[in-house]
Amino acid sequence: MGAAWDGRGFVGLIQALNEAMQAAKAELNGLDSALGDGDHGESLAAAFADAAEKAASLSEPSPAAVLQATSQSLLNRMGGASGALYGTLFLRMSLAVKDRPDVALEDWQAALSAGLAGVQARGKASPGDKTMVDALAPAVVAFASATDLGGAFAAAAGAAQDGAAATAAMVAKFGRAKFAGDRAIGHVDAGARSVAILFVTLHEFWEGQYGEG
Amino acid sequence: MSVRKHKLVNQRENILRDMLEGFASAYPGIVRLTDDGLIVRAQPKASGKVGLVIGNGSGHEPAMIGFVGEGLFDVNIPGAIFTAPGPERILAGIKAADRGAGVLLCVSHHAGDLMNAEMALELCQAEGIEDVDMVVLYDDISSAPKGSEPERRGTAGLFFVWKMLGAFAETGTSLAECKALAEHIRDSTRTLAVALTSCASPITGEVMFDMPEGEMEIGMGVHGEVGMGRHAITSAEATIDLMLPSLLDDLPFRVGDEVFVLLNNSGSMTLMELYILHRTVAQRLSESDIRLAGSWIGAYATTQEMAGFALSLCRADERLKGLWAAPANGAFLKGVV
Repeated sequence: MGAAWDGRGFVGLIQALNEAMQAAKAELNGLDSALGDGDHGESLAAAFADAAEKAASLSEPSPAAVLQATSQSLLNRMGGASGALYGTLFLRMSLAVKDRPDVALEDWQAALSAGLAGVQARGKASPGDKTMVDALAPAVVAFASATDLGGAFAAAAGAAQDGAAATAAMVAKFGRAKFAGDRAIGHVDAGARSVAILFVTLHEFWEGQYGEG
Repeated sequence: MSVRKHKLVNQRENILRDMLEGFASAYPGIVRLTDDGLIVRAQPKASGKVGLVIGNGSGHEPAMIGFVGEGLFDVNIPGAIFTAPGPERILAGIKAADRGAGVLLCVSHHAGDLMNAEMALELCQAEGIEDVDMVVLYDDISSAPKGSEPERRGTAGLFFVWKMLGAFAETGTSLAECKALAEHIRDSTRTLAVALTSCASPITGEVMFDMPEGEMEIGMGVHGEVGMGRHAITSAEATIDLMLPSLLDDLPFRVGDEVFVLLNNSGSMTLMELYILHRTVAQRLSESDIRLAGSWIGAYATTQEMAGFALSLCRADERLKGLWAAPANGAFLKGVV
């Protein structure tokens, strides 16, 4: 069962992401204060709280509508570079599943690839630049190589976590952290870490809702 | 180095709203706070003139709310503390600034400001709004080397753009001419900043970056971004001598040039210190046969209570001198000195 997610599944997912981001607020603020202004957790939590409320109030929550509403919360409640990038991720995913009543493995793969392409086009970052792309890109690759949804979420969660952890060794090429030069080494990028949390939550939500174990 | 962490605010989540309401209530003859959180002119510019709009993270007051008014911006879109506003809010700002002759969206170059501005222009395209353009502005020589100017950050020296572009738009010029003038001022302006202490984030209440007692950072960005390097704190004269040669070489400013000078207080410098600093700036310019066309000294773009200042030079020409002298009536920028 659970070969595809319908709109209700996406509403549940956004609620799960909201809970995860509320729980991760202090951790993400802490990472961000090393190299940024210390509000990544705060602003992400506020945006997902808004998104969860919006998603719950949709009268006909198609997958695309839920993702679109979430992108609006991220773009406009979060603001800044992170809001633009997170918003673009969800906006491109929404466009990729337009008109789909439910989203199966191939649609998920297409949506995540479109999301990654959008984030890279907007932010101009490549893997290795110590940004959210360092978690997102390996997650999307891992997701694309899986043959079933459960395996895809598991692989993506693992790859995103590894990718985020690896940012500690990197010098930043973008954002405020860029200006820290070598002083950035030793700090995990807050945006990469929040993407890892996103994929871990996706996997856990999948296990809880649709998993067979 | 101790930093005052406690700020006299109310609920942290209401900082932006409370500040904007307080600001608008103080200057009802100059600005109005709209229901959607924009700062607009109390009396809109006459129709048929280019509208000027800018979005920015808050926490740098009086930038940019203090520069809305006659001879300056039409609309400011204040974002959350140190966070650029999102594209829908910028779109609302563009619409509010439209007086029928096009709108120029000014972007102080930071990643978030640029990305959200680009997305706002995409929204304009999607809505069929065509007479809108944006100009990306930067001035801080410490943030990228010469030759990579477009990668530099926008900091205090953009003040020259705000003042003179604002005056230019009042004269009824076209959108393309406004953009070209903004680029000309940008390309004539160079800035370098120094920080002596850190400051506290109003959001987290924590010190924003680490600054050892007795040291200063040359090239500090407006959010505490790390600059060119740390030095032991020295005299005012020696500090200017550390900064001015890099600034002069970067443009370069040449013998016979005329320049405007801005000494911008980053937060908790005293005017006494800034005047002492300006003494050396004026002396060194004179020694280099560069004429002082005018100076502005004050807190125009701040980073909370950071102790430090930015030194900006803008090469003057006859057109810019005329625009410099034109009337302006923002809450924090009046006419000419």
